[in-house]
Amino acid sequence: MSIHTLRRGRTAGVSIALAGALLLGACSSGGGGGAEDGENGEEQSAPEELTSISFGDEAASTGPAEEVPDAQPGGTVNVFEDVPPDHLDPAQIYVQHEQNIARLVHRGLTAVKLDNDGNYTVVGDLATDSGQVSEDGLTWTYTLKEDIFFADGTPITSADIRHTFERQFAPFITQGPTYIQQWLADADGTDYRELLPEGPYNGDHLPDSVLETPDERTVVFHFSRPQNDLPYALSIAGYAVVSEEHDTQEAYDQEPMTSGPYRIEEHRPGRSMTLTRNEHWVPETDPTRNAYPDAFEISFGHSQEDSTARLMADNGENRNGISFSNGLDPGNGPTVMEDPQYRERLVEGYQSFVWSLAINMDTVTDERVRQAIAYALPLNGILNAYGGSIGGQYTASMISPLLPGYQPDYDPFGKVANPQGDAERARELLEEADAVGFELSYVHHTAAEDQQAAVAIADALETAGFEVNRSEVPPETYYDTIGVVDGGYDIYRSSWGHDWLSAGTVIPPLFDGRQIQDGASNYSHLNDEHVNAEIDRIRGIEDAAEAAAAWVELDAYIQEELVAAVPGFAYRQTIMHGSMIGGAVFNDDFGTVDMRRIYVIQDES
Amino acid sequence: MLRFLMRRTLGAVAILLVISAVTFFLFYAIPRNPALLACGKGVCTEEQLAIVEHNLGIDKAIPVQYWEYMVGIFAGRDFPAGHCPAPCLGFSFRDNRPVLDTIMDRLPTTVSLTIGGAVVFLILGLGLGMLAAARRGTLLDKTVSSTSLVLSSMQIYFLGPLALAVLVYNTGLLPQPSDASAFTEEPWEWFKGLLLPWLVLATIFTANYTRMSRATLIEQLQEDHVRTAKAKGMSRPTVFFRYAWRGSLIPIVTIFGIDLGALFGGAMITEVTFSLHGLGRLAVDSVTQSNLPMLMGVMLFAALMIVLFNIIIDACYALIDPRVRLG
Repeated sequence: MSIHTLRRGRTAGVSIALAGALLLGACSSGGGGGAEDGENGEEQSAPEELTSISFGDEAASTGPAEEVPDAQPGGTVNVFEDVPPDHLDPAQIYVQHEQNIARLVHRGLTAVKLDNDGNYTVVGDLATDSGQVSEDGLTWTYTLKEDIFFADGTPITSADIRHTFERQFAPFITQGPTYIQQWLADADGTDYRELLPEGPYNGDHLPDSVLETPDERTVVFHFSRPQNDLPYALSIAGYAVVSEEHDTQEAYDQEPMTSGPYRIEEHRPGRSMTLTRNEHWVPETDPTRNAYPDAFEISFGHSQEDSTARLMADNGENRNGISFSNGLDPGNGPTVMEDPQYRERLVEGYQSFVWSLAINMDTVTDERVRQAIAYALPLNGILNAYGGSIGGQYTASMISPLLPGYQPDYDPFGKVANPQGDAERARELLEEADAVGFELSYVHHTAAEDQQAAVAIADALETAGFEVNRSEVPPETYYDTIGVVDGGYDIYRSSWGHDWLSAGTVIPPLFDGRQIQDGASNYSHLNDEHVNAEIDRIRGIEDAAEAAAAWVELDAYIQEELVAAVPGFAYRQTIMHGSMIGGAVFNDDFGTVDMRRIYVIQDES
Repeated sequence: MLRFLMRRTLGAVAILLVISAVTFFLFYAIPRNPALLACGKGVCTEEQLAIVEHNLGIDKAIPVQYWEYMVGIFAGRDFPAGHCPAPCLGFSFRDNRPVLDTIMDRLPTTVSLTIGGAVVFLILGLGLGMLAAARRGTLLDKTVSSTSLVLSSMQIYFLGPLALAVLVYNTGLLPQPSDASAFTEEPWEWFKGLLLPWLVLATIFTANYTRMSRATLIEQLQEDHVRTAKAKGMSRPTVFFRYAWRGSLIPIVTIFGIDLGALFGGAMITEVTFSLHGLGRLAVDSVTQSNLPMLMGVMLFAALMIVLFNIIIDACYALIDPRVRLG
């Protein structure tokens, strides 16, 4: 089994087991969440692209969640996962497999709702709506719902919300998202920590000018600059509520006080986790979680071969089985996708990640040389290393197909049409630049797929006229290696994923020139005045659709005019489930099945 | 006997010290910083990275770290995450839980897998070996011998998935392997869950024990004291079991002790094949996650098992063959 390391959003330097995700199917239902079981059809179709995502008002934020057709409450879902969660403290949760579990046990101020028609809406989860913003866009106000409780029955108040955000600054919080802390502190990188260096534990608090809780149900965020993505950001698990009363600091990571429809009945680290109903969860307050099953029995340590074999067998307890993170294994994948008896039990879509090759703008200064790299790169050889056509789909954009505004036909270098690369055109450009024999220092990591892709990349570049010096590092230090500004490398892979359905979590972290520093994610070291100015401008656009279109336009400018990176493919995910699982749909926001909607079929007739 | 055991115990302690030192220092030969794994990129300042390194106890010189680790085993230690009572194996880098707790959580699976598998492969292996030796040269002997040869060349990573596909997924003859049930709480579920892993493990080991017991029995049956017993008119079963079989046990006990010690240290491939959560899998995960305290804990435990079973083997020698004691 191989483990692949990807980065999600701005700060994830941690491993995500995506072995399953990399060897996936290209059939069955589309993304967008609308396709239920049995609607996969015979024809293969690409997942749908989102046109927009809206913010929900109080009515849209009122529970209970829309009923899933034919759903039945009760039963136990058996979840077969590979990698166990290292963290249960919301503030430490960032990687995908941990978020998948967190969505069942933790709640935040907002959540992304997926309705039966496949529409996505950011709605209030603990809050009454997705947020009220001031005229100048600097102040966001949230009002907490009534009848919202932690699993021990204590009510959730604005004090808990304040504490949730203040403890994000504490020194022991080292893994979670940093968006809102940076926005509150109006600081880049890790400078936000200076706002509350010890967190709330020494009696210090964020000033009311930053975070205000005037009464038990009101929370007010004050920013120095408009933060139109706040409702999205609040929906990620890393910002779920933490109980002030039960906060045990580091120990909270092992025994958190949950607030979702399920509580952690038993947790045997590395082995299993049993989720049972939280009797204090009030469905009428929750517009996104149906929570039909009585329990989830989650077991860890299942390779994708094992989980696929169990779900193909569809016997005994495997009939109630599903995986949130394991995709299909490469051996059985083609069979599963060909055979109708399996196909009707698949949900498929894109993950948030896009594979790209970053080009160091400091060392590869001639645009023609960068264009030559782009033309030479063999996307087919690269994608084959990651599972071939079932592992991903070619793309020429840094913006995932999941994001609003994605242009499926965009292909400035003709690479999607000719994924084998154009060595002749690359050589022409090198000759034009008098750079034949240009030496490229290329670093990749030691995981099997990265090594295999590196061979294809190096071969193609050398065929085009480059001299390639390859070196490799362990996966866990890979992003630290390429994050060193003066690291001396010219090209390196980066797989970047959005944190919510906005390219505002893709373009700025990858290409904002003001964020070039050791450890930052502008791997290309691109510092372009137009790009920087556009990032500021687009961030200020309130209309989500308009902002999405602007991000796409800026992405095209970066690809065509600057060639700071060469996108390769968008990762795909195929999830299989047992025959007694109903309501399984792919959730584009999660990049996997929507675990909030699934149910156990109680009556086979 | 007491002196013998004391001498062996002292030797075992020395071996464990050497193993712990080698593991500890080799770990740091790998160019990896565990603190980076505990610190998301862009989340930690350099100061915070230093705090993480301090919390993990990796901010000191390696010999000092080793000394503190060894002291912790006998006297306990204090960590930022809390006090770790003796025998303290530290806290996991990965999830900040006590290493000993995790090892104790995984131990029942390893013990269940080992003992159950050993019972099966000892009964089958010795039984078939005796049968083949008693019927030497017959069709039965040839069949058992050749089958053993084939089975001994099998590998668990091949036989395991094959058995799963045929016996569990395709025919449903055997239940899904699982280590979720405890012997003390749900013995029947425990038995069902481990039946297939036992059978697969036993298939591989049985072949070796069959071949060995056959060979040693045949050798013993040709010994002078066995011939004398026959000449004195003793019954065939008495000659076979009292004289020949007992004499053939020493090499079998030797191999069994080594196998048992190794299995108690973790049957990694078997555990991965059947998605079981034993010490072998824990060791592999610790390596890939640069989790030194966990790796040290599992390595020390595995070494302890091997050393312990070697002492038991030596003691068994003395019981089986009085000449060992005299020596």
